[in-house]
Amino acid sequence: MQVSVHNLSKSFGSVRANDRLTLRFEAGKIHGVLGENGAGKSTLMKLVAGFLRPDEGVIRFDGRDAALRGPGDALRAGVGMIHQDPLDLPAFTALENLLCATPRSAIASWAEGRRLLVELAGRLGFTVEPEMPVARLSIGQRQQLEIIRLLARGARVLILDEPTTGITAEQTRALFAALRQLAAAGNTVLFVSHKLEEVAALCDTVCVLRAGRLVGEQMGMPVPQAVLLGLMFDTAVAAVRGAEAPPAGDGGTLEPPVTRPVAGEVVWRLEGVTAREGAVTLRNLNLEVPAGRVLGLAGLDGSGQQLLLRLLAGHARPDTGRVLVGSTDLTGAGSRAYRAAGIEYLPADRLAEGVIGALSLSDHFALQQTGRLVDRRQAERAAREAIAAYGIKATPVTPINALSGGNQQRAMLALVPPRCRGLACEQPTRGLDVASARTIWHSLLARRADGCAIVFASADLDELIEYSDEVLVFFAGQISPPLPRAQLSVARLGELIGGVGFAEGGTT
Amino acid sequence: MRPSHHWLLALLFAAALLAACGQQPAAPPTTAPAAEQPTAAPATAAPSPAAPVATPAATTSAPGEYVFGMVLVGPINDGGWNQAHFEGARYVETKVPGTRLIYIDKVNPADRPNVQVEQAIEELISQGAKFIITNSAEFADGTNIAAEAHPDVYFLHASGDAVLRGVAPPNVTNLMGRMEYGKMMAGCAAALQSEAGKIAYLGPLIDPETRRLVNSTYLGAKYCWETYRGKPADSLAFKVTWIGFWFNIPGVTLDPTRVATDFINEGYDVIISGIDTTEGIVEANKASQAGKTVWAAPYDYREACAQGEAVCLGVPFFNWGPRYAEIIADARAGKFTPQWEWIGPDWSDINNPETSMIGFVKGPALTAENAATLDEFIGKLADGSLNLFTGPLNYQDGTVFVPAGQVADDKTIWYTEQLLEGIEGQSAP
Amino acid sequence: MQSTEINRPREPQQQPAMHQWFETLRLPLLTLTGALALTSLALLSTGVSPLQAYRILLFGAFSSPGRSSDMIMLAAPLLLCATGLILTFRTGLYNLGVEGQLALGAVAAMLPLRLLPDLPAPLLWTLCFACAATGGALWALLAAGLRLYAGVSEIFAGLGLNFLASGLALYLVLGPWRRSGSASMSGTELLPRDLWLPTINTLRLAPLAPIIAIAALAIVWWVVRRTRWGLELRAVGLNPGAADRLGVPAHRRIAQAMAACGFLAGMAGAIQILGVFHQLIPNISSGVGLLGLLVALLVRADPRWVLPVSVVFASFTVGSVQLPLALGVDSSIAGVLQGALVLFALLARGLLARPG
Repeated sequence: MQVSVHNLSKSFGSVRANDRLTLRFEAGKIHGVLGENGAGKSTLMKLVAGFLRPDEGVIRFDGRDAALRGPGDALRAGVGMIHQDPLDLPAFTALENLLCATPRSAIASWAEGRRLLVELAGRLGFTVEPEMPVARLSIGQRQQLEIIRLLARGARVLILDEPTTGITAEQTRALFAALRQLAAAGNTVLFVSHKLEEVAALCDTVCVLRAGRLVGEQMGMPVPQAVLLGLMFDTAVAAVRGAEAPPAGDGGTLEPPVTRPVAGEVVWRLEGVTAREGAVTLRNLNLEVPAGRVLGLAGLDGSGQQLLLRLLAGHARPDTGRVLVGSTDLTGAGSRAYRAAGIEYLPADRLAEGVIGALSLSDHFALQQTGRLVDRRQAERAAREAIAAYGIKATPVTPINALSGGNQQRAMLALVPPRCRGLACEQPTRGLDVASARTIWHSLLARRADGCAIVFASADLDELIEYSDEVLVFFAGQISPPLPRAQLSVARLGELIGGVGFAEGGTT
Repeated sequence: MRPSHHWLLALLFAAALLAACGQQPAAPPTTAPAAEQPTAAPATAAPSPAAPVATPAATTSAPGEYVFGMVLVGPINDGGWNQAHFEGARYVETKVPGTRLIYIDKVNPADRPNVQVEQAIEELISQGAKFIITNSAEFADGTNIAAEAHPDVYFLHASGDAVLRGVAPPNVTNLMGRMEYGKMMAGCAAALQSEAGKIAYLGPLIDPETRRLVNSTYLGAKYCWETYRGKPADSLAFKVTWIGFWFNIPGVTLDPTRVATDFINEGYDVIISGIDTTEGIVEANKASQAGKTVWAAPYDYREACAQGEAVCLGVPFFNWGPRYAEIIADARAGKFTPQWEWIGPDWSDINNPETSMIGFVKGPALTAENAATLDEFIGKLADGSLNLFTGPLNYQDGTVFVPAGQVADDKTIWYTEQLLEGIEGQSAP
Repeated sequence: MQSTEINRPREPQQQPAMHQWFETLRLPLLTLTGALALTSLALLSTGVSPLQAYRILLFGAFSSPGRSSDMIMLAAPLLLCATGLILTFRTGLYNLGVEGQLALGAVAAMLPLRLLPDLPAPLLWTLCFACAATGGALWALLAAGLRLYAGVSEIFAGLGLNFLASGLALYLVLGPWRRSGSASMSGTELLPRDLWLPTINTLRLAPLAPIIAIAALAIVWWVVRRTRWGLELRAVGLNPGAADRLGVPAHRRIAQAMAACGFLAGMAGAIQILGVFHQLIPNISSGVGLLGLLVALLVRADPRWVLPVSVVFASFTVGSVQLPLALGVDSSIAGVLQGALVLFALLARGLLARPG
């Protein structure tokens, strides 16, 4: 079945997740949909599968308009989506899951369900068996079960959203083989990923989304990786800008020149650190961050940058190795000890982890006081000063969640105490407009000028190149050596982020 | 706050609401057995029955009317102790012209956790009650406290002994029936009918009153077992299980339904009830319908056999009305005399509703032959030729209750310290 | 970075006065309307005039000194519980264990009474309150520990501990602390009269109880408004992760808030023993803790409203005693009204919070 979308738009609040997309996916092929996190891939897929309803535009199946009121409509039309987290009932067996998620019209009896499951699994080379309890299946097997369920319900278009996250290489191979087989039988497969190799290995065509827009349309594979990366990260534009601005970054940068302090004491020292969180493992990491250094962390979301930041702030603990702040060994200490040692962590999700939405800036400063009683006047004064110094658009008593994202970020920065020695920032300018981002960096660099070391993760390659003294690139838990700013270009960074140059088993 | 918990809480409160509503049908005053509005004036003295309640705080008694109040521990339609009291009070209304009953029932920590007896009494007094009856052993302290606070109101504490102990204020009197006789008859009927020779007693809480009633039942059963069945006393099993209160309070007391079914499963073929409610006969009836041979003797209320005609051996009951009527008439006439009264049956006709405080209605399940034997037994009690509280009687631990050749006096019986030898069950807590 | 823009505050609440007036009133109006509608329905279904019933519920408790005393003696422990719950609610905790904390406080209050009955009464009362508060606090800490170290939600930990506490009271009443010669659920021996909290004349009003409760409210009010600790509790309640990042020891604050609530609930338990029941009964909490939860939920842990709402709820309960006498309605309608108020407050808040 052919799937096409015309002028499809979808907004969440002020963010345009999909902006007038027009695309066509032919039957019998595997179509890759590429893009960085937040590019709008998942939104597009959810629109096609009926989980979301478009603000404008139409979706057509085989040329006929489909007004989808829900995933049920899409499935009846033959479109099924497999989520990153399979939606199943862990307490049931595989067969029970299949049966309870399928109407009687599709599978008439228990025996037929079993027969169907065994047959489809055998045909597709899946290892899932009818009597296995779902709680004991691997993520890969649950995915297999989900595919079988959708096929049993008559799906002819399969949408897979990042299906290879968290499954083994063996299962990935089995999945790809099955998908090829299904496509060869005339089904349409939409494969969403941000992993270039997988798309290259599997897909017949590829399209690229960036910031909700279609930037690369239905290119027949193979497409050179550099081109794809360029589309994903807009390196073409950045490269032009980079050419105008000398890489040493004095005259052309948007920031006033900053006198860099002489590399003084070491703020962070990691010795042979191994740590794991979720699917990411960092191995045998050695790192030194001296005072006054800005270290940028590049990489696709979930490649290990967040874990490193959390390690640096004591929010995650290493399995082995040592973490030193200054000359103090803080391995295994809690975030409170790091904070006492002058380390601040600025999370990406400001309202979830950074600040307390219902409280005002003045309340936040009151929380930082040391006396038993709240000194309202002092807190308000501090808030007023911060508002002036950081250009926050708020009164001291406005609740933080009434502020715009940029102002929230500034407020969070303003709350970093002056004695701070090291700042670990996750996506410090995510979601901010250019002017706000500039203000944030103005404040950050002012901290750096005071001798504070800054480690930040960002998806914005320009930002990384512009503000970092050195950049570490992460790829699936592997880390590049520190790359001095002079050696960086957006293109080179894009390649590294895409895994080019990373060896199969270790760092370059 | 975590918003997801709002729903959980909302659910909890909804459940609590339902529970609160659910309690209502258990004993709504409007479904009282007499089918009367609980507080409406009796038909004779109520030209406008709805009007007086409009101002609750005001004294609502009509001129010349004598309002008396009753505080009951359980619901008025419990088919037992409380219903017997309630009907006794209704009897007063019919026999003493110009009197009107107001009452608050279910005054116990489970049904009304924030209401104490004193509070309930004060509500009744504020509604114009000049005479208050309280009907449970727990109400002793509260009755005395309220009596001290209201010297102009007379109090009758049923089942109490404050007057006997000399701790009662002068406006308190005590009244109790000699249910010992009724229990002896029930025990005898059980012993006559039992095939297994295993009698179970569904006990409420443990106090001197409940102990002497168990002992009486046992003495009646043992006498009839030996005398009429001709079997040795030690071949009669007699067991008591205490639930912990006068009636079931879920989660606090043992569940009498469970206790009764346990009795039946253990092979006891007669269940004698000592609690206010009718679980004993109800369960026996169910078991009987399921094919088991089980009988029951309920307690307190004359009509209690109705809960299970087919298994009912008979019910010993209280008939509070006549004596209530006399005491209230006296109080109204200014002739209130505090005393400790313990009144037995009218032996000339124990079931005479006008005269006898204690009665025994034989149940349909009692065979004609056993009924005749029981009549013979009652005859012996009536003419005084048989006094079962005659020594030698020993307590469970072997100490002497009544020495050989002696007859226990009232005080000894009233303050019974233990169960008797031969009874299985907890004697003193 | 134009300075004009920087200094302009975002002020979303600039609306006409009339509108604002409606904004502030629509939540209580919605709540009251809903609750009264539901309760009226229940009343009408039993054939009773809702107006008469409401008059008794609202004003019945004030119609005589005796009833007012009863109302105050119910409001005092209720106020203590609700006051304690201000702290836990602010910390984002649903301390459903307040019932058990009260019961354990009551049990603990019995200890000095049984062990040292010969001490002078004022000293004994002080000991009782101290023991009760400690007992309640420890019981609450147990729930806090389960929450912090075993990952058991304080709701379920609290419910479980409630059962345990009432089981303990039951065991003591029926077992070691029973009246001599009897075993009844009705309670332990009454305390000697000289150990009852002193009352005004023959009324059942012991002034010490409301004094303690109001003092506790005043202190808690001051604590949540003026101290950093109070602000930190709120920060933890709103966002424990961010609070932790901002240097607030969230775990410690959770434990402290629970302990403080248990402390006050325990004091309420001592009042139940010394001032209300004068004995330990199995149902010593008599639902006061749960009623306190309703109060705290209704006022959203705002100390300004705790006292009036506690008094109103206590009046409902005390006034409802007259209902069966005056109208032939079961007293439980008071519970229906109280529950309905909270239910509709939650519903109304949910509806109003919804955007658009």
